Amino acid sequence: MIKNQKYIFLYALIATLIVFNVGIFMGYLMETSRVDKINDLALKVELQLLDQTAQRDAMKLLDLDCELLIEGNIKFGDKIFEQALEIEKYEKANQINEEITFQHKRFDLLRTLFWMNSVEIKQKCKSDYHNIIYFYDYDNPSIEQNSKQRFFSNLLGEVKELQGNNIMLIPLAADNDISSINLLLKQYNITELPTILIDEKVKLTEINSISEVEKYLD
Amino acid sequence: MYMFCSIYLLSFNIIAYLNNKKNLFEYPELKKNYSVSFVVPAYNEGETIADTIEHIFNIDYKNITQVIIVNDCSTDNTKEVVEKLKEKYPKLILINNPTNLGNAGRSKNAGLKYATGDVIAFVDADSYPAKDSLKKMLGFFQNEKVGAITCPILVRDGNRFFERIQDIEYRVIAFTRKLLGYTGAIYVTPGPLALYRKEAIQETSGFDGDNLTEDIEITWHLIKLGWEREMSLSTYVSTTVPQKFGEWYKQRRRWTIGGLQCMSKYKKEIFKRGMLGLFVLPFFIIQFFLGVLGLGVLFYVSITNLITNYLFTTYSINADVPLLTMNQLFITPSFLDYLGIIIFSISIIFTLIALSMMKRTMMKKENLFNIFFFAIIYLMTYPFITIIAIYKYFKKENKWR
Repeated sequence: MIKNQKYIFLYALIATLIVFNVGIFMGYLMETSRVDKINDLALKVELQLLDQTAQRDAMKLLDLDCELLIEGNIKFGDKIFEQALEIEKYEKANQINEEITFQHKRFDLLRTLFWMNSVEIKQKCKSDYHNIIYFYDYDNPSIEQNSKQRFFSNLLGEVKELQGNNIMLIPLAADNDISSINLLLKQYNITELPTILIDEKVKLTEINSISEVEKYLD
Repeated sequence: MYMFCSIYLLSFNIIAYLNNKKNLFEYPELKKNYSVSFVVPAYNEGETIADTIEHIFNIDYKNITQVIIVNDCSTDNTKEVVEKLKEKYPKLILINNPTNLGNAGRSKNAGLKYATGDVIAFVDADSYPAKDSLKKMLGFFQNEKVGAITCPILVRDGNRFFERIQDIEYRVIAFTRKLLGYTGAIYVTPGPLALYRKEAIQETSGFDGDNLTEDIEITWHLIKLGWEREMSLSTYVSTTVPQKFGEWYKQRRRWTIGGLQCMSKYKKEIFKRGMLGLFVLPFFIIQFFLGVLGLGVLFYVSITNLITNYLFTTYSINADVPLLTMNQLFITPSFLDYLGIIIFSISIIFTLIALSMMKRTMMKKENLFNIFFFAIIYLMTYPFITIIAIYKYFKKENKWR
């Protein structure tokens, strides 16, 4: 007769704990590596934003070429938008490391600074590009909000494709509890999410076609 | 929680297999000449019972004292078929229940009253024990603590796709049940062929006539009384399986309700010392819980996604905006996705090992498609059956047929 091997229950438990913990640890390493990539991106963006700010401040004192400043601003705007999409990919996948949420807030702040920078450059250089700020619910959107936000994202992506450098597209999470963004939400009386704010004047919460956005961009 | 339980079960099976792979097919040499009484409950089994009886009498064992057929008021020709075979087999006994008892357990108890052997063997009327079954099973009774013995149940000549999927299932179950046997954790001695020491079955007072899975119930009763259970992997019994989804569904629903009945009956044993309280009951409860929870989560996520996608599609079509962009095609897997893939891959490897261990030359070679279908689609139906069974159980719709 084969001896009763009840110890297998214990061995299996030990094996499970080892595998589970190794899995979580490997997952933590993987997510940390992604966060590190985003951190590097953020540092580059911060540097570029500082650069833009320096150019803007220099413009006040010196007679700088507005065209170069605007061109730089537009390129920076495109970059910051692409990076927003990059972070979005990682956010959905990260399950353990909470730092990605912190990085999202960091990028939101950078985008807010970029927005303010953009407004000032537009005013000083009397440029005709348009600022489109897209406020969305980040933390816990309802089913309807989620579908609308996906739709708005795709629609604005199409608008960007059509309008190219005529627009500066800036997505901002409105519920990240960042004071500066909260102030701006209050300033522009944004109470519903998602909301599109065009040139700090026009608020859109319902859109049925691309032309409804484009009519404000002419 | 799912991950943890999956990893635990997989680890258990792998460790048990690695520990015992050299002796999986061993069985004790039979030294005692046990007398064996067979009991076969039958209701409308006219098509299959002759073959069952032939197979029993064909078993290579000299001390089969009785083969008792319990006819539960069949409306087909079961009685006539058995009466005719009595001429050929003098040891064949036919008991006709005066009224329909409606349950295999009650019929088995009726047959048990007439059984005189040291060992009582129960066989379903659509099952066919192998010729060497008794020789390779009875030896386990030489350990006085053993009260019941089981063996693999294999699908008989399954050539249809649905039968082949069930064949995979039965072979994997047989293999894992043997592994459970090494820890004394066998929790069922299935109806197609189960041997019981007479003393053990008498101590249980027989089968629970109200239980839809009397084979599970009696095993749990034996565990509670301290009887050990063994499994002989070196022989088998073949059985006919449902060929249509409707029949299969009713069978599995019955098994699930029976499981609920057993859990309810033995609920006071939970966490008490012994295999029943520390493994069998928690195992069943966790299985049911995870099945129901998983289905609940799946429904919630599916419905949420469905509504979100419907609204999104409606908005997009109205606005003539693309439904899919390049960016949305990129999937970034989370660590849980990777872990899930690894666990699934190891499960498939283990399934392949189980199937190769339980090879049958009669069966056509199964292909990977069948195995993946079994692992992904077939197994996913169980949570749905669990929900329906729970509903039927609480509505007290516990009918055999």
